[in-house]
Amino acid sequence: MNIAVCLCQVPDSASVIGFADGALDRSRINEVINPYDEYALEEAVSLKERIAGSLVTVFTVAPLSAKDMLRKALALGADRAVLVSATEPSDPYLRALQLKSALMEFYEGIIPDLVFCGKSSTDFQSAQVPSMLGALLGIASVSGVTSLNLSGEHLHLEREIEGGVEQIELHYPVVISAEKGLNQPRKTTVKAVMEARKKPIDLLTVSVDVAPLVLMSDLKALERKKVCRFAEDEKDLVLLLSNEFPLFSGD
Amino acid sequence: MTKFLVFLEQREGVLKKSSIAAWNRVQEFAALSAGAIVTGLLVGPLDRQPIGDLLAGDGVVYHANAELLRPYQQESYTRIVASMITQESISALFFADSSLSRDLAPRLSVLLKASLLSGDLLFNRQGYPDGSFRPVYSGLATASFSPQRNISIYTLSPSRGMVTRSSADGTVQVMPTAQHHHSSDNLLAELRRIVLRQNSLDIAEAGIIVAGGRGMGSSAGFALLEELAALLGGAVGASRFAVDEGWRAHAEQIGQTGKTVAPQLYFACGVSGAPQHLAGIASAGIVVAINSDPDASIFQVADYGIVGDVHLVLPKLIEALKEFLKKK
Repeated sequence: MNIAVCLCQVPDSASVIGFADGALDRSRINEVINPYDEYALEEAVSLKERIAGSLVTVFTVAPLSAKDMLRKALALGADRAVLVSATEPSDPYLRALQLKSALMEFYEGIIPDLVFCGKSSTDFQSAQVPSMLGALLGIASVSGVTSLNLSGEHLHLEREIEGGVEQIELHYPVVISAEKGLNQPRKTTVKAVMEARKKPIDLLTVSVDVAPLVLMSDLKALERKKVCRFAEDEKDLVLLLSNEFPLFSGD
Repeated sequence: MTKFLVFLEQREGVLKKSSIAAWNRVQEFAALSAGAIVTGLLVGPLDRQPIGDLLAGDGVVYHANAELLRPYQQESYTRIVASMITQESISALFFADSSLSRDLAPRLSVLLKASLLSGDLLFNRQGYPDGSFRPVYSGLATASFSPQRNISIYTLSPSRGMVTRSSADGTVQVMPTAQHHHSSDNLLAELRRIVLRQNSLDIAEAGIIVAGGRGMGSSAGFALLEELAALLGGAVGASRFAVDEGWRAHAEQIGQTGKTVAPQLYFACGVSGAPQHLAGIASAGIVVAINSDPDASIFQVADYGIVGDVHLVLPKLIEALKEFLKKK
């Protein structure tokens, strides 16, 4: 079984994230695997460990500096890694097209059985790439998966919906986007890091010549300051709220 | 002639409130922008209310009411919406942001080569929606997004302005549409079932949220928040820390790796106010913060605050509130 995992790099939320001239100030940021992608990778690797003869390949469309991230993914259990060179995509649609080209080229036109992505990236937060990739590949996609079980050719998935859970049963191939809660990602070990050095990283170049669907502009740091009025005590707070908030004084 | 289409979502035969709010919102700005026509598309059967009473303004709602369409089905839903857009020459499609639209809208975007936008709407001079504005980078920044194609798809986040109406002020005509299940849809054969949690108000739809963070100390600490929420008719939410510690379920998490909420009143109890958390409450109305640290960043986004230990403040607040409600 071929399992593909799409990874992306995002600024570590623990690093200093600043903005200058409508762009991210990259001088002081540290890039890490997108948090949701860690759940995607973990699920792929744990499936591989249960199904004999399956191969996990990770893909990223990124500059060469993303090799470190790919090494980490290999240490976390992926078998192969593919670093895809392409022009920086300006919207999720172009990103999905680039990933589709990379998958089709790497797998020589045969759609992998399972494609895992993170639910969204923490930088642009559009949460569109996984479903777009499914549509482009012409296969089903399920977004925000919190539970996955495989029996034969059937997948039993769960995703959170408003006020409950949706249970889905379907055949692969399918694109699955991983939500927090799907699993507990493992940590790397020294031994795994050493072994990862021997695993291959393939280089691939794709070019997608399509106009974007959406353009992003006016990127700027968010200022949100209110003046907080401190209540003298709890009774005072209830009074203050009752003046402002109709539900307190009305019905 | 500009034509807007609003996707009306039913779940288990009941029209979702967020869809009604989206329809009414679109009607509002369609009335301001000269001559826009609002059409609705409801997929799946309804068990109860005639929907004309819930929807404001004038318009036609096409109803694909086949029983097979009761559960969400990715392929048939995609096909029905796409063919309606082509057939009616729609220029903008609106969804209420939901787990369904997050699954469906990106696929429609690819199929129709339509610009998919989310967040707060931006309008052009004629009063037509022309882009969106939303947080990026874990809520540390904002950006504008503009459509580059002829068809746009908007997913509307819950916002305070989105209210449901008790009585309609126009005539909404419901027309059955001949959109049936295709046998070819079984290509991606999928079975879906819904298991709803009992007696729980979802934070994404709650008007009042009482949220707790690290300062609550344990899962037992949330009992105070449960009590306050019950008193106010609200829902309990949690910060990432509280969820990671296993004190609360992920469904209750607010912020970057959780949900975006827009209650009229938000209590942040023992929540420090990390940017990732604040990203989830950017559209909240009145924010009340209770925290023992007077320098906690949550106070910078709060309208009202009390500095103090939540374990001491909350019982007193609950008492004060009970007193207040009794007097009325």
